[in-house]
Amino acid sequence: MNIHKLWEYREYVNVNGMMLSNELISFLQNHLTVLQVENHFTHMQYWGQIYAVDADYHIAVGINKDAIHDRKYYYSTDFKFWGLLPKPKKKYKHLSLLTTFPFRGDPSLKIKVIDESFDEHNPDRCQTMQEEKRLAATISNICDEAEVCARGQLIKQPDGTVVINPNFYGLTGPEAKLIKSYLHIRPAQQRWNTNLLTRPDYNYSMDFLDSIDQDIPSGCWNLSVEQSGNVAYLKSLYWPGMSYFHKIRSSDAGFLYVGNGRKILDVPFLI
Amino acid sequence: MSSPLLLEPDLIAAGENVMPELNNDLLLAKNFLKQQSAATGDSLYDHLVDIVHKIISQKPPNVVDNFEKYSWEVKADKFRPNFDLLNDVYLTPPQLAVVRRMEEMFQLVARKAEKMEDFGEEEQELDLEEDTDKPRVSDLVDHNYYFRQGGYGLPESECYAVYIALNMLAIKEPVATVRFFGKIFGTKANYYVAETDLTVEELDRRIREFEMKDMPGEGEGLDEDRLPEAEEHKEEVGEGEAVDEKSKEPVPPKLPPVPVSTWQPPPPIPVERPGQGVNRKVFWVCNLPGDPWICLPDVTPDQIRVSRLTVRCMTGDLDAEVQTFPPFEGTERNYLRAQIGRIQAATSISPQGFFTYGSGEEEDIDLEEGAGDMAFNPNPFYQGHTLKDLLDPNLTYWVHHGKYILNQGRTLWWNPNVGMEEGLEEEDDEGPPPIEPESGPMLFTSLAEDSRIESQASWTPRTSTKLTPERALVVMRSNIWPGAVAYATTGKKSECMYIGWGLKSQPPNFTPLQLPLPQDEYPVGPEVMEMVDPTFADEEAYRIAHLPPPPPPVIAEEGAFGEEEEEED
Repeated sequence: MNIHKLWEYREYVNVNGMMLSNELISFLQNHLTVLQVENHFTHMQYWGQIYAVDADYHIAVGINKDAIHDRKYYYSTDFKFWGLLPKPKKKYKHLSLLTTFPFRGDPSLKIKVIDESFDEHNPDRCQTMQEEKRLAATISNICDEAEVCARGQLIKQPDGTVVINPNFYGLTGPEAKLIKSYLHIRPAQQRWNTNLLTRPDYNYSMDFLDSIDQDIPSGCWNLSVEQSGNVAYLKSLYWPGMSYFHKIRSSDAGFLYVGNGRKILDVPFLI
Repeated sequence: MSSPLLLEPDLIAAGENVMPELNNDLLLAKNFLKQQSAATGDSLYDHLVDIVHKIISQKPPNVVDNFEKYSWEVKADKFRPNFDLLNDVYLTPPQLAVVRRMEEMFQLVARKAEKMEDFGEEEQELDLEEDTDKPRVSDLVDHNYYFRQGGYGLPESECYAVYIALNMLAIKEPVATVRFFGKIFGTKANYYVAETDLTVEELDRRIREFEMKDMPGEGEGLDEDRLPEAEEHKEEVGEGEAVDEKSKEPVPPKLPPVPVSTWQPPPPIPVERPGQGVNRKVFWVCNLPGDPWICLPDVTPDQIRVSRLTVRCMTGDLDAEVQTFPPFEGTERNYLRAQIGRIQAATSISPQGFFTYGSGEEEDIDLEEGAGDMAFNPNPFYQGHTLKDLLDPNLTYWVHHGKYILNQGRTLWWNPNVGMEEGLEEEDDEGPPPIEPESGPMLFTSLAEDSRIESQASWTPRTSTKLTPERALVVMRSNIWPGAVAYATTGKKSECMYIGWGLKSQPPNFTPLQLPLPQDEYPVGPEVMEMVDPTFADEEAYRIAHLPPPPPPVIAEEGAFGEEEEEED
């Protein structure tokens, strides 16, 4: 969520009953604006919270030129010090899915993870991971699987860079009720024309991302239109705590994740 | 060129002049632009005029960057259908349906409020009686304010609508107290859940109904017991007939009797009656504030047992089928009720001393039997705790006020041997060993004694503010039922709420119950085991190995003699 619009968006945010309190919004706006200026970001977004035992992590995203590839993630537990998250490694992304115990709230803490897919005597079976790296990997996993935007919110320019569309007027009512109108914010994993070929009103600058209706199983996204048909909410069953809202026919939209950073593997049983 | 540009009529006049000149070039270019497209009848000249007009009048920023889009929009505007017939059709805004429903609810509550006002003015003396009749609706707006301070709660618009809906419930249905329990998400619609106590009359009626239903239920159980016997009788009769026919027809081979299953289902665990145990509170749900509230049926121990073994998302349709293993008895209505019962038992917490048994005076209640199902009320002498105590990570200052549900699916333990003992005395058999009664933690047990989940405490306390400690309150967040929260101020306010999917956190993940192993049909031995047939070589080898062993030395001597004899011959 754009940090400069947090006061307006607070009425729309509702993840498992979580709302933004006045103090939290004030803290975020003050500190993240400073962070934005220091790093010369064109956009600064509040990403969400990861629950931890001692102190919760607050995550912010800075976007510079490219809205997909040029993102920097920051974390903080006290709002004063914002640390840059390291680039997630594939190994840690795998290990973070295996860890079941909660985050501690101490980025320097080293934890041991047992990978049960290896034999008992394999040295790779037990590995250590710093909590900071686990945090980066978890966030990267969530972004890959659950961070979404409405169609048209991001556009690809002729030179290949992806920018946040300044002239986004929002989805129309019927569009907002279609799960196909929402796209993953990640480098496309399907073939480049998959999305183009499945829409009658295709647009090269908009349909360059994967739409979420391709995700397996087909019920893993929950789309609801609430507040007497004004706001569309998107929730993921894989990542409870993820929430995306979009005010229909307006540019107001935001992504937020508030949760313990654990993927639910029981989705086939749930639906 | 020195001559000024000519105006339109002059231009046309100048068109007759064929000399190469600026005005002439301009005219030719303009004529080209004004060429009508054969497909649409439109010309580029008009189109450019429209675009420039639109841009000048709307003054959007950075037009040059998305000029194409503007051009597209201008074209799209021209293709609006302009049929006279459809022009007059008014499209209602989508909000209308919601507004209609809400309006009905608001009018109902408003009428009631007016009536109460008139009543209050006329009969001031009868105020006391009036108070007892009036259902108590917990102040959701107030509690939501505190929840929002702590970073939880409902959005303002939703909160107010739900509060009015709770008032509507209090007016329409026979309830004594109404409290907002929470919101449960579903894949198609969400549920708002209200927790109520029934009025005394309604509760009596339901208990009577329950007992009426229960008595024939026991009778049915007896009938079922008799059924196998009846079948046996039938079989005997059948055999008798066969005997009669024996004389006329060829003798049928004598078959062993069909085996009868000796398995008897364990006696069903009785349901707790309305107003007791897990059915103490009655829950009402609706999909949207303004919809009629639907009463959820009472929960049975078996439903709780099954719901503990499965995970499932709500769909939002109360009559949806619940497909689980082990099979769940009932529809989503029952499943929702079972989940709510479990959530309520696990996540109802309050600061120590906030509630007390009875009214705080009846101390001499027999704890052995009555403690499991004793009423509790807000403690009038509760003074609140300090912020530091409430934030204590050991959670000793917070207690459960929801009753623990035993493995049986009841809050009060029921002894399955009670009914059997009478019968067993006559048979002089050794009865089943007395079963250890299950017991859970007492009511008002501290959260410190909760089981931990993955080395994490079951609840996480957080303070609402760090800047102004005098306004601070404590919010507790459940790690076992994500979405369950409770708050307590340093004063006398506390409440809990659940907003979530109705799913329990089960690290590492859910494992479905395994199907039971198939039972053995017969003892497994060599005569029924499958093995390879012996080949001819095998048989030959066996035969040779098992030949009667001829005494070798004797044969050799005889042979020697024989040969010698032959040679001699």
